[in-house]
Amino acid sequence: MSESDKRLGRARVRILIVDDSSLVRLYCRDVLESAGFEVDQAINGIEAIEKVLAQTFDLVIVDVNMPRMDGFSFLRALRASAKDAASLPALVITTEAGKQDREDARAAGASYYLLKPVSEYDLVRHVAVLTGTLP
Amino acid sequence: MEFSGARAVHVTQGDVRRLCEFLYRRTGMSFDNNKRYYIDRRLAERIAATHSGSFQSYFAMLRSDAEHEIEHLINAFTVNETYFYREDHQLRCMTSHLLSTLLQRRKTGDPIRIWSIPCSTGEEPYSIAIWLMENWSEVDNHNIEIVASDIDSRALNSAAEGFYGARALMRLSRQLVDRYFAPVDEGRVRIDPGLRESVQFTRANLIDPQDMARYRDFDIVFCRNVLIYFDDASRRLAAENLYDCLRPGGYICLGHSETMSRISSLFSVCRFPEAIVYQRPEAKHV
Amino acid sequence: MPFIKRAPFAERTNAESANGLTRHLSELNSPDAEIRWHAARALGGFAPAVPALAVALEAEKVPHVREAMMTALMRVGDEASVRALLPYLRSQDAHLRAAAIEALQALPEAVAPFMEALLGDTDADVRILATELARNMPPEDAARALCSLLANELHPNVCAAAIEVLAEVGTRDAVPALEACAQRFSNTPFLPFAVSATIARISSTES
Repeated sequence: MSESDKRLGRARVRILIVDDSSLVRLYCRDVLESAGFEVDQAINGIEAIEKVLAQTFDLVIVDVNMPRMDGFSFLRALRASAKDAASLPALVITTEAGKQDREDARAAGASYYLLKPVSEYDLVRHVAVLTGTLP
Repeated sequence: MEFSGARAVHVTQGDVRRLCEFLYRRTGMSFDNNKRYYIDRRLAERIAATHSGSFQSYFAMLRSDAEHEIEHLINAFTVNETYFYREDHQLRCMTSHLLSTLLQRRKTGDPIRIWSIPCSTGEEPYSIAIWLMENWSEVDNHNIEIVASDIDSRALNSAAEGFYGARALMRLSRQLVDRYFAPVDEGRVRIDPGLRESVQFTRANLIDPQDMARYRDFDIVFCRNVLIYFDDASRRLAAENLYDCLRPGGYICLGHSETMSRISSLFSVCRFPEAIVYQRPEAKHV
Repeated sequence: MPFIKRAPFAERTNAESANGLTRHLSELNSPDAEIRWHAARALGGFAPAVPALAVALEAEKVPHVREAMMTALMRVGDEASVRALLPYLRSQDAHLRAAAIEALQALPEAVAPFMEALLGDTDADVRILATELARNMPPEDAARALCSLLANELHPNVCAAAIEVLAEVGTRDAVPALEACAQRFSNTPFLPFAVSATIARISSTES
């Protein structure tokens, strides 16, 4: 059975979108649900940690600038957690364009990095690649 | 038949989305689509109760928290009633995980200090005591100190007196009621004097640092269903105060609709099978 | 029963004496983070401590002590405390930026005189953070300032941030500015979506 066959047989791929902007969360949810993914949300890194520890996700999409726990702090906390969650793939979406931020993202344990505003195409494609659901 | 003139205020789907986002931001409470009818009902009730002529004027009132409307709205969505063994999954977490972890780290002989704040009319601190006796095999091997505090003196007096009706007891088995309470009159019981003597009741204000400075070295704090009503600045201050009241490595349990994500980044998130609790980071060794 | 009671709790302590405050001011420079933490907490709300808190904050590396210093400034909440917190909006450290915004968000009245400059800052990241500060301003003022920003703003992420806050504070009056923005950015991702979602949320309302 191929990977994608196996995929078709299992429950939908679950994505956690972490961003303090309700419109970004709504956009990601609309785009990704249309593409067949199941989407949950969190408003900052603390809520994201709570959800990741309590539920199974296949990918977390995380903004950098959020109150109480920013995206990089979240990723460091995630990587330090001694659970399955620690190896969860993470896609950073951010307004920051500098090279330092790319390095910071990588150092914090992000799998990939996208600049906002993110196009539908880029979002779906990167999620598909990172969750192994490319047909 | 004459109507008083209260006409149903028209609320659009956009209005409801705006309200839900506001609530979600503030409290962490979220509602999926199949709860839409429920939200519409509760919102209509609050709009009517506040005599708001439009969603707009209601929402403005809510955002400015005039007349404690945030509290009323949250209470419309949650059942905020106190009773024995409420949210007992946290009590289970305490005896299944928290206590053993705490005991590993300390010198023997130190009492285990547990704080219920706010304690309201006492159901929570007495529940902690009863649960420990019923469910913790180690309970007789340790000194346990239970402190219960509230800002409301009347509630404290009532708690110290220890009279309860059927509603407060609804989650307790017949055996537990017989074991720890004595009947007083029709529909009322009184908690045993031994338990009344076991809890220390004090008046305390979560956002007053001088008040809170008297409370130190707690191992577990139950601070349930109060911070959700505070504004951001008060929550932040209460969280700092509670941090200082805990021992390093000590735990804090919030109410079922509450999350530290809306309160403070001082605490770590700890996931146990029964509950998410929060921890003051352990002392770092220099 | 295994339950014990200690001696009754002491009466609530009074606010610090002048000596105590002087001691806490010098403790802000202690090499011990816990001492600095307690000093910052003790100085909360004490206006003369603002300069010392500002200096200590600049040097402070321990996150929870930084938070306590920012809380202490927030509790004073005057112009001087706002000035002490504002520079952190420009910090390279996301955590510091977030912490500063949180403290400033609690001070809408003290922050209000700075809003125009913040929303017009040359740094797009500062403008983005400033839109978040507008959220707690009186809604009419916030909506007006954000619509005004939208009319001239070239940076799509700043527009996105302004639109997000308008979704909460805006009324039907904001619709023209929103539609114009969607028009300007019509062939970019996300913004047209954000505008239409926001218009849906605020259309039933008038100011």
